[in-house]
Amino acid sequence: MLSLFFLPSSDNGSTRLRRLLVWLALSIALIVYGVVGRQLFLLSTLSTVFLYVVLTQAWNILGGYGGYLNFGMVTFFGVGAYTSAVLFQYFELSPFLTAPVAGLASAVLGVLIGIPTLRIRGAYFALVTMIITFAVQTLVLDMPVTQGALGVYLQPVRLSPLGVEQLFYFLFLGCAVAVTALVYAIEHSNFGWALIAIREDEDAAEIVGVRTVEVKWIANAVAAFIAGVVGGLYAQRIMYIEPSGTFAFDISLNVVLMAVVGGAGTWQGPLIGAPLVLLVADMLRVTVTSEVNRAIFSVIVILIALFIPGGVMGVWTRWRRRHKPKTVEAPS
Amino acid sequence: MLDRLAFIITDGILLGLIYAIAGLGLSLVLGIMGIVNVAHSAFIMLGSFFAFELFRRLGLDPIISFFLAMPVFFLLGTIVYRALLTRIERVSQSQGLVAMFGLMVLIENLSTIAWTTDTRVITAAYTNASLVLGSLYIAQVKLIAGALALVLTLLFWAFLRFTLIGRAIRAMGQNRDAALSVGIDVRRLSAVVFGLGIACAGAAGVALAMVFPFSPNTQIQWLAWAFLVVILGGLGSVANTLIAGLIIGLLQSLSTAFLPFDYVYLVLYVLLAVILVLRREGLTLVVKRAI
Repeated sequence: MLSLFFLPSSDNGSTRLRRLLVWLALSIALIVYGVVGRQLFLLSTLSTVFLYVVLTQAWNILGGYGGYLNFGMVTFFGVGAYTSAVLFQYFELSPFLTAPVAGLASAVLGVLIGIPTLRIRGAYFALVTMIITFAVQTLVLDMPVTQGALGVYLQPVRLSPLGVEQLFYFLFLGCAVAVTALVYAIEHSNFGWALIAIREDEDAAEIVGVRTVEVKWIANAVAAFIAGVVGGLYAQRIMYIEPSGTFAFDISLNVVLMAVVGGAGTWQGPLIGAPLVLLVADMLRVTVTSEVNRAIFSVIVILIALFIPGGVMGVWTRWRRRHKPKTVEAPS
Repeated sequence: MLDRLAFIITDGILLGLIYAIAGLGLSLVLGIMGIVNVAHSAFIMLGSFFAFELFRRLGLDPIISFFLAMPVFFLLGTIVYRALLTRIERVSQSQGLVAMFGLMVLIENLSTIAWTTDTRVITAAYTNASLVLGSLYIAQVKLIAGALALVLTLLFWAFLRFTLIGRAIRAMGQNRDAALSVGIDVRRLSAVVFGLGIACAGAAGVALAMVFPFSPNTQIQWLAWAFLVVILGGLGSVANTLIAGLIIGLLQSLSTAFLPFDYVYLVLYVLLAVILVLRREGLTLVVKRAI
């Protein structure tokens, strides 16, 4: 499976390079802003965007490419956050050091959840992942080690307010870039094709030799690891976590929403979806109450799901196909 | 000790009957139409508020609301089917699922706008009364809600078994194409099935509102319960759904009695995982057409 990890692409090399350069320029611009930017609000908003980009990309691996919708992404995120927080509480270990441990804890949970749920197909997976969020939340509320509803406090980072914002800005930006690169690599690998085959027709995929269950397990564990790592960092960022906020079902829904809006199953999707959704959410927040805001959002989700398959990226691909320069296709 | 056990078992059976009707509509829609109605619990919650409003504004007893809810929610279900489900059936499975989740969040938030997130209860004349049988105390509301649930289950069973529409629905569940070829209007019947599923959800909501406190943003936990019933009981069979509901009700009352309260949920979630592992062959047959 891994021997053929990188397949040659049939896509036109130079246009792909040009498009990659656009993303590269964008990341450089974001890095420059991180250095020179002085507005705490904007830096903090952008780091939230990066955080969601990471989560949505992680979701995208199994959800977008594999078609297995995880409606419990927050489980992995929350378990990561709690792992780091508890390690700090009892061993005074900084979440910056324990973030990978948090990721591992989430990955283990991802495998454990995956064993019963990834054998079943489609919609059941979505429901079970959602239910597991409540189970884990209940567990965290009941276990003495997590201090129940009291939550866990963490120590603030010893930096100026600007320094703290910049630190998390770059941390989450780095994570976002790294995870996007990973998803890009997956998209252009056999592993990615295996996932797409599972999404399109799982029986057929199995018949042609895709080890569907193993592929799904790996995808789920990788996604859980990523979500766990940013969960651990998030715990340090907000410095206080408690069960209902850390395991909020809204986070799971947001992640799915961002992927669907941007375009699930493409590496650009989350990069477009996360800022778009957060931007619209912020705009709605200042104009209407949060319930109205969420009601409008759900209408948008329904409309996108029913009438705009593939989200922004889907529209973009269809538009490009229609307006493709004729010279490329014309026989010489 | 024996008294206590009798109490636990009666309580479990009554709860189980209520849980069974919470899952009944979901099982029907999933089994016959192959649609995972994620918004099922949102309709249950609407049913609770239907009873709440009738009780608050007109002083109508929840027992009457229970029977009123069925036609009202049947109509609501067919409207939702025409407006949304016909489109959902045309798109891919994952997009349909996302749209259903959208519907759930929409209903939840519209309800939050209408009724806020306050937790409500319906206090009927018999809410705090109990029936005394020797040394056995049974809360009257639970008895009434359980009886109503049993009536609804029987009605459903009889409807699916003996009426012509019921037979057509079962035929459609067995083989959609064959049903189509013998002259069953599958499209129209789908609207009926979804309407019945929602009618069941609405009635279940009324029964739940008699026993449990409710609020718009806690509806999602009922989705977990309804889903648990469906997984345990399998699809489209009324009798199995009833048995599954009873098992879950008994498990809950037993674990509430012998374990710290919150671990009840954990026991049930573990049960869910175990069933999923054991029953996966049984499930996959249907899941292929799920949404």
